[in-house]
Amino acid sequence: MEGASTRGVLSHLSLLEVQARNRGSQVPQQPSRVKELKAKVEALTSQRDQLKAELQIHKKLQKLRAPADKHEEDGEDEEMDIDSKSSELFHLMARHSELTDLLHAHNLIGGYDAITTNGGKGMCFSLATEYEGVYLDTYNLELNLKPKVRISRHNIPPFIPLNSLAEQSDLQTDVGAFLATVSQHLNAFAGRRQQLKLVKEQHKSVEVMESNLLCSILVLMFTVPKDKTPLLCTLEYTDHTRCLPTRVHLNCHDKLLPDSPNWKKNCSLLKEVPVHRALMAIKKDSDIV
Amino acid sequence: MSEENAEELKQLEAEVKLLQAEIIALQQQRQDSWENASFQFRGQMQDALAFVCGRTQDLEETVVSRLKEEVEELEKDLKLQTQINGICLNSCITKTLQSRGQEVVHQVRLSGRSSELVFQVEFQLSELKDGSRTERRIRDLNLVLDSSDLLSLSSFLSRVEETRDLLLFFRTIRSYSEKCDDRTRTFQHFQEKFPSIVSLPKGMTFGMPSEVMTLNHPELPGCCFFIHWCVDVSTGGAVTPKIQLLSKIPEKALQLFPSQPAGGGAAEAFQSLLRILGPEAAIESIIRAVSLSESDKLSD
Repeated sequence: MEGASTRGVLSHLSLLEVQARNRGSQVPQQPSRVKELKAKVEALTSQRDQLKAELQIHKKLQKLRAPADKHEEDGEDEEMDIDSKSSELFHLMARHSELTDLLHAHNLIGGYDAITTNGGKGMCFSLATEYEGVYLDTYNLELNLKPKVRISRHNIPPFIPLNSLAEQSDLQTDVGAFLATVSQHLNAFAGRRQQLKLVKEQHKSVEVMESNLLCSILVLMFTVPKDKTPLLCTLEYTDHTRCLPTRVHLNCHDKLLPDSPNWKKNCSLLKEVPVHRALMAIKKDSDIV
Repeated sequence: MSEENAEELKQLEAEVKLLQAEIIALQQQRQDSWENASFQFRGQMQDALAFVCGRTQDLEETVVSRLKEEVEELEKDLKLQTQINGICLNSCITKTLQSRGQEVVHQVRLSGRSSELVFQVEFQLSELKDGSRTERRIRDLNLVLDSSDLLSLSSFLSRVEETRDLLLFFRTIRSYSEKCDDRTRTFQHFQEKFPSIVSLPKGMTFGMPSEVMTLNHPELPGCCFFIHWCVDVSTGGAVTPKIQLLSKIPEKALQLFPSQPAGGGAAEAFQSLLRILGPEAAIESIIRAVSLSESDKLSD
């Protein structure tokens, strides 16, 4: 009995001792909050100064890149003594940003983004495709240059006849001509495929009966408003470098319909204007539903 | 003691709020003026920026030499792209029109040339994030060519501005300027090789190289043959050289040959020659025929 109560008192005493010690080492609340805020002010000040500096440098670099443009007075530049630093460095920075922009522009206009590979023995090209302002897929092609120019790796779909195109444009002497031809084929294919996509999106009343991988054949089913007659339209794109069909053929139970002046006109239209836009005009004329 | 602290606390908290507001304003300014992608400093540019702000221990010469190296790499790269793409770009100015949520719209102004053909191109580029993909789209394309040869290009240019086929524009002008260069080179080659027979108009006609090469024998001044070499561009961007042979023979001379084949005998024959021999060899045979010479040695 005695032992238990002693233990109880002793543990209570040691608890009080610990509490007293802790109270002694506790820093009073207010000063630490002040220190905290002071540190925060320091950090924020340095962040603000850095942003200010970046903006100033940006302005200065812009001026260096466009010396012809006479902007407003440089009053603000004196705030920061940037001018006291190396002007060589600034000119290098301006040139760096100019070059980066020009290289980006080459990519935007559909350039080949050529890179040498394999220690100069090879070269890799990007073939960009685009139709009516929409950038579509980019394909890649690697050529080995030594000992002979040969197509190495690529991700160009198999229905584009790379090897025969290489023979036609004499790959050995004129890589540029070869690339231009492949690009032409790819862009025409991408354009035809995009037209098919737009037909499906914009013309739900037209049924796509058949199309192939190369998008060189397209069979559409129209519905003529009178009696809801079905009209089958076959578009053949035999020139694979173009996005417009070379042949338009109509099939209908009513044998006279395809020869009507309206439909003769529509067939011409389909050969001159991309199919998704031709269909809009044909719908407007109420020739199809 | 605690009153002073309370005062100080208030001041500090106010300062913090002020700084935070300033930072947000500066960040917005930076967002608005980050007109070029290149001004998002990376790599050596970031080190250079740090140096200018005094935030680094590096020596100026170290920063300069490393940046110089990177600039030289970029110059080499630009030379390569210019050569392979056949397009020389002089300037690219980008302005951010809108950066809202998933869509960023830039205004891009390019100027440059493809061989002799000088252009200025302006368009809006919209980049829309759609999951992991970014959809890029051209809006509002504007094309200006500093060329007096606009007649052959005008229908193509107006169509391509309408459809906004930016890449088709560049593919086509590259092909067009290459084919014009072929013509210039061939004409000059023949003028140098057969100076007494071949003449090209002095200088340029209307600022563009000539489309016509004149052939005549010095002893038959009234009789001329013309090689008319034009480069057609279809509305859809197909570039086709068209070479034709035309002749100007005085009536009196024609009367001496009653059995001469009707009208375009020479012109049609030339087209066959073109198909079989190609432009250079076909033109050379016409020149030799005009020179009325049996021997192969014509040039003096």
